[in-house]
Amino acid sequence: MQDQPPTVYLVDDDPDILKAIDRLLQSIGLRVVTFLSPQQFLEDYDRNAPACLVLDLELPGLSGLELQRTLEQEASALPIIFLTGRGSIASSVQAMKHGAADFLTKPVDDTDLIAAIRDALARGQAQRISRSERERVAKSLSSLTDRERQVLEQIVAGRLNKQIAGALGTSEKTIKFHRGNLMRKMGVRVVADLVKLAERAGVGSGPRA
Amino acid sequence: MSWVEITWIVMSAACLTLGVIHLFVWFKQRSHYAHLLFFALAVSATAFGACELVMMRSQSHAAYAATLRWAHVPLAMVVLSMIWFVHFYFGAGRLWLAYAATGFRLLALGLNFVTGANINFREVTAMDQMLLWGGAVVSGPVGVVNPWAIVPQIGNVLLVVFVLDAAVTLWRRGGPVARRRAAVVGGSLVVCITAAAGFAALTTLGIVHAPTIMLPGVFIVVLAMAYELGWDMIAAGQLATQLRASEQRFRAVVEAAPSAILLVDDRGTIALANAQAEYVFGYPRAELVSQPVERLIPERFRVPHVRLRDTYSREPQTRAMGTERELFACRKDGSEVPVEVALSPMPTQEGGFVLVSVVDITERRDLERATARQRDELAHLSRVAMLGELSGSLAHELNQPLTAILSNAQAAQRFLAQSPPRLDKLTEILSDIVKSDHRAGAVIQRIRSLLRKESAQRNPFDINDVVEETLHLMRSDLLNRHVVVRADLGEGLPAVSGDRNQLQQVLLNFMMNGCDAMDGRDMDGGLLVRTRTTADGNVEFSVADRGTGIPSADLERIFQPFVTTKSHGMGLGLTICRSIVEAHGGRLWATNNSDGGATLHCELPAQRT
Repeated sequence: MQDQPPTVYLVDDDPDILKAIDRLLQSIGLRVVTFLSPQQFLEDYDRNAPACLVLDLELPGLSGLELQRTLEQEASALPIIFLTGRGSIASSVQAMKHGAADFLTKPVDDTDLIAAIRDALARGQAQRISRSERERVAKSLSSLTDRERQVLEQIVAGRLNKQIAGALGTSEKTIKFHRGNLMRKMGVRVVADLVKLAERAGVGSGPRA
Repeated sequence: MSWVEITWIVMSAACLTLGVIHLFVWFKQRSHYAHLLFFALAVSATAFGACELVMMRSQSHAAYAATLRWAHVPLAMVVLSMIWFVHFYFGAGRLWLAYAATGFRLLALGLNFVTGANINFREVTAMDQMLLWGGAVVSGPVGVVNPWAIVPQIGNVLLVVFVLDAAVTLWRRGGPVARRRAAVVGGSLVVCITAAAGFAALTTLGIVHAPTIMLPGVFIVVLAMAYELGWDMIAAGQLATQLRASEQRFRAVVEAAPSAILLVDDRGTIALANAQAEYVFGYPRAELVSQPVERLIPERFRVPHVRLRDTYSREPQTRAMGTERELFACRKDGSEVPVEVALSPMPTQEGGFVLVSVVDITERRDLERATARQRDELAHLSRVAMLGELSGSLAHELNQPLTAILSNAQAAQRFLAQSPPRLDKLTEILSDIVKSDHRAGAVIQRIRSLLRKESAQRNPFDINDVVEETLHLMRSDLLNRHVVVRADLGEGLPAVSGDRNQLQQVLLNFMMNGCDAMDGRDMDGGLLVRTRTTADGNVEFSVADRGTGIPSADLERIFQPFVTTKSHGMGLGLTICRSIVEAHGGRLWATNNSDGGATLHCELPAQRT
């Protein structure tokens, strides 16, 4: 899945523009799929592929902003770059508020567009990676026993083995054993990594706060 | 000489004089046979008078009989002249009676020479000297009556009947002149013939002892006829005076007329021209009269005009000339002036004339032109203002092809920078760039022509093209305002003739009005643009909105200036639209839709093919 080349979806009702931008993006080796209407796009786009969307703001029928809203409701992570011929401040504010990756005006310079696309794709990629890591951590966390989880919380809180044993009412040796197990389950070698991972997964902050 | 002889000589001379006068009249008016017949009658009466004078003075009964026989020749002439004078002069009377009376008189004349001493006496046996009043002594015959004397008497009866009948017919025909003529001529004839013939019969039969005297009766008839003929001449003279006065009046009226007036004959020659014609055409009258009317027409129209004139002279009627096109007159200095021409035929005995009235309408044309210029200027101002409102949309329409051009060009640069350069892509890219450039050019062209300030043109075009183009121009604006436009364009519409820009302005105005009417309403608002051929073969376009509609009291008011329902704008848009459309011979009106909203309609006349 990570190896799949990213796709740029283009939606514009003007076929001339669609063709020109398609060509421009192909010249730098991007995979482009074009749509003349948002409806067509919603029917055909691949929800799982790494991609970004270059969307015309002024479209007949479903407008660009409305498409953005629809994708939001679908909880899509697809980064959207808006292209507009007559960008009003109101519409750009709205687009950005709803998480638009970028807002460019036509005619658009190639470097700006390409940079925006690269940026959006990278951001999409990053989001994709962090999401899969979060999933992996969550999975590891769920494999921990209750005791191991208590030990993890104490470690993240910065306690020593001796203190943990005292707090949990057990021997330092047992704590060491749990600690070894949970380090293995979480797939980390040093405590620093464990702490980082646990923090990212939100472990430890909850009970203390 | 006795008074009888003097009287006879005077009567004869008077007859001769009157006869000669009417002979001259007849020479001048050959068709008036009455004058010739009167001459014959008068001359015959003179001759008969002379015979009677000889008879009255004759001393032997033989000479008397011979003279009487010869006297019947002028007498027959008198009778025949009377018959045919009545026939021609009255224009009435039964022809068979005329022929019968003529026949009997000629028969009597024949018998006069072959039977007896003459038609009256078989033989005259003696002379009778009679002493008349005043001591005059005249001869009278004594003899045996010719039995054939009945023949001229029958002839006389026929003559009286014929004259009586003709006079009654003429009387019945009515009219003061005809009645007088019937009474004077008919009456005198009947009375005098009856009296003279009866008297002659009585003396011949010897019942009355008197000389045969017929001249006085004939003389009275001659006088009566001369009186009537004289009246005719007087009437003709009066008529001539009236005609002259009438012609003078006609000339005075023509002369004083405010328009140029020409009288043109059926060969196209000017017979008469008035003072205004001199002024309008710049020719002195002497150079107009007797000249072909075509010299007043610009050279390019001369040949067709001759043909049109022929057509007109075959079916002349009062009408305006060339109502469907502008007419020009050519002045002496070669300049042309716009004119209006009215024709009215004047048939006369000398052939068909046409009274042509020409009005120089230069001033009216100038005024019309000034009005049109003002209208065009106002239309232009309003168009510029409207384009201002649409500028966002127009910029967008330009931006689209510019965007495509830039991306295409930059794609080309990148393909060229690759190694090896991807030359294969260039052909396609360049042709797309050219296409987009044309597209942008077309938009600019359209904007420019809408902005251009020029007087209205008249060219045929398809209204559907204008609708499609307008939808394109407004596309972005419509999107921005969330207005969905449906177009229902009629097929096979006739072309309309007019100023494309101005009519597009009308449509733009309609659509913007529709959008304004729907502002702040639901998002499902839509415009319906329709074109169709009307029942009369005209072209109608309309824009229906789904807005608030128009209060029915305002359906007409919205076309008045400064009436507006909007917060912005001057309320001149539709007023200007109406003036544009009316200048095109069309009309504008508004209706409310049954299912909400209003529709603005524009009907334009189809171009004549």
